[in-house]
Amino acid sequence: MLSTDLAEAAPTLRIDGLQTSFHTDSGIVRAVSDVSLAVRHGETLAVVGESGSGKSVTGLTVMRLLGRTAARIESGQVLLRGRDGRVVDLLALPERQMAKVRGRDVAMVFQDPMSSLNPVFPVGEQIAETIRIHRGASRAEARREAVALLEQVGISDPESRVDAFPHQLSGGMRQRVMIAIALACDPLLLIADEPTTALDVTIQAQIVALLRRLQLERAMAMIFVTHDLKLVEEIADQVAVMYAGQVVEQGPTAEVLARPLHPYTKALLDCVPHGRAAGRMRPIPGALPNPLAPPQGCRFHPRCPHAMPACVAAVPALEQAALDRVVRCIRWREVA
Amino acid sequence: MTPLVQAEDLTKDFANGSRALRAVDAVSLEVGAGQVLGVVGESGSGKSTLGRLLLRLLEPSAGITRIDGQDLAALRPRALRRFRRNMQMVFQDPFASLNARMTVGDALAEPLRLHRGLRGPALKEASGALLEQVGLTREHLHRYPRAFSGGQRQRVAIARALASQPRFIVADEPVSALDVSIQAEVVNLLQDLQRSLGLALLLISHDLSIVEMVADRVMVLYLGRVMETADTEALFARPSHPYTAALMQAAPGARRRESRLVLSGEVPSPLDPPSGCVFRTRCPFAVADCAAARPVLRPVGPGHLKACIRDGLPL
Repeated sequence: MLSTDLAEAAPTLRIDGLQTSFHTDSGIVRAVSDVSLAVRHGETLAVVGESGSGKSVTGLTVMRLLGRTAARIESGQVLLRGRDGRVVDLLALPERQMAKVRGRDVAMVFQDPMSSLNPVFPVGEQIAETIRIHRGASRAEARREAVALLEQVGISDPESRVDAFPHQLSGGMRQRVMIAIALACDPLLLIADEPTTALDVTIQAQIVALLRRLQLERAMAMIFVTHDLKLVEEIADQVAVMYAGQVVEQGPTAEVLARPLHPYTKALLDCVPHGRAAGRMRPIPGALPNPLAPPQGCRFHPRCPHAMPACVAAVPALEQAALDRVVRCIRWREVA
Repeated sequence: MTPLVQAEDLTKDFANGSRALRAVDAVSLEVGAGQVLGVVGESGSGKSTLGRLLLRLLEPSAGITRIDGQDLAALRPRALRRFRRNMQMVFQDPFASLNARMTVGDALAEPLRLHRGLRGPALKEASGALLEQVGLTREHLHRYPRAFSGGQRQRVAIARALASQPRFIVADEPVSALDVSIQAEVVNLLQDLQRSLGLALLLISHDLSIVEMVADRVMVLYLGRVMETADTEALFARPSHPYTAALMQAAPGARRRESRLVLSGEVPSPLDPPSGCVFRTRCPFAVADCAAARPVLRPVGPGHLKACIRDGLPL
């Protein structure tokens, strides 16, 4: 069954050469420059980076949720492989069709569930709305499904919680509701943008376990956007490390974390605490670059211990370092 | 020698309609000069309230705080204001804690004038010296907070806390708002200053790995009560309370174990805390007796106390 095998290998989502800019009064911020990523069904890709890395803008571009006045998608393609196997470029879709894709084929969970949920409607209605809009279900059907979804995301007593308002639920439960809304139409791809950052660690552990279980059960593709490399280890098969709008390294999570090739990845792994015995913490020198005026050449060079004149001369290209690994550093062979 | 900071049975009730919410429940602690006490716990554990009680930014409902032997409750308002130079706070968000309309120099001059009576060239000299102490330069004196990165702002906030030459500092989540690559330099700075100045430091954090790096002793809070307290190495090597163990194992990238202790459910409402042990509703080892009486803090090793009636748990 050659055709099925090919379908298995084809990515659910492929981002190709994406450039997203913000035109501000003080100048142009190239938030995402030349980003290419792919995620297959049943696979989790973590996009990790600090403030200004472009990790969230990448997710918002895929969803086409950026305001048109300030944000401009300068170039690139976002190719989604639909349920029928046909590939469409989401950036080329008319808004009316994109509205159908959003929620049905690609869904998103944000960091702060309180500002994502509507405070004046019961949570059950907000889940049911998605089901009615995308699947044309009746009110009664949609409500029944909302209860079932609440149960699937681990909310106890779903028959009564379905009528609760967001403020009556804890932060962890609200995030479970957001996940229920996102999964209501069984999307092909879930984009989770820092979904546990606002939560306490014991609740974070529950939500991460929930997302992993749901993703396996449904064989969804998932893009998990985070600043936390340690969390990446828990959840992702593949990881893309971003810095100042660019992907600097990408590969299988276990390999990237065990043997980072880019000096930034290495420094990011080093600067988190390693226990008392490891002694002082090792910060990355300098500050994050000014997004209006990123450094010439390699954007990490001012903070990099391995920088040399050639690093300033030109933007390094993404190099194939192994079959499944890429790195944007001209000195990766020496650094690794 | 008596420790610089001593608190006995500190308790804080907040009125909530007709009911009282007990945010901090009979917490006792000591922090010596040159010592760091880490306070860890999740939202609602009372860790920030405890910090504010110790600095008398909040009035305790019961209990005593002594700084350098001085009972804070015995000070009249004027004397308390003067005494405040001995104790300062570093807040989580350096974007919110600095006045956007004041230059860094003005922000530093205020406590220097107020607490140390400096004027003129001496004031300018001291402001510059403070900035250098936190790794910034004198040129930064004329700039506004918006010109600084998050890490630099937190340096300014630390410099401001040091202006009155305090002996006790409460740092409430001092690096939580900062990017990962910036956190380490601020942690190192706090640690260097604490050591070189011999400060007593109460470090409040939800991040166990940072507390492990910096603190000499650790106190674990849950719903306002102390669950466990011990020297840092003992606590991390041999956590004795199920909550401590669960907190350590819940942290991403925590040391791998065959079976991870994952807590079910959420922190109960502080308006209606469980009877007996407040942690029992989420504790995988709870037995009937746990609901009967509030467990007392009892020793399980030298300087190592836990509030749990069970022993020999597979943690």
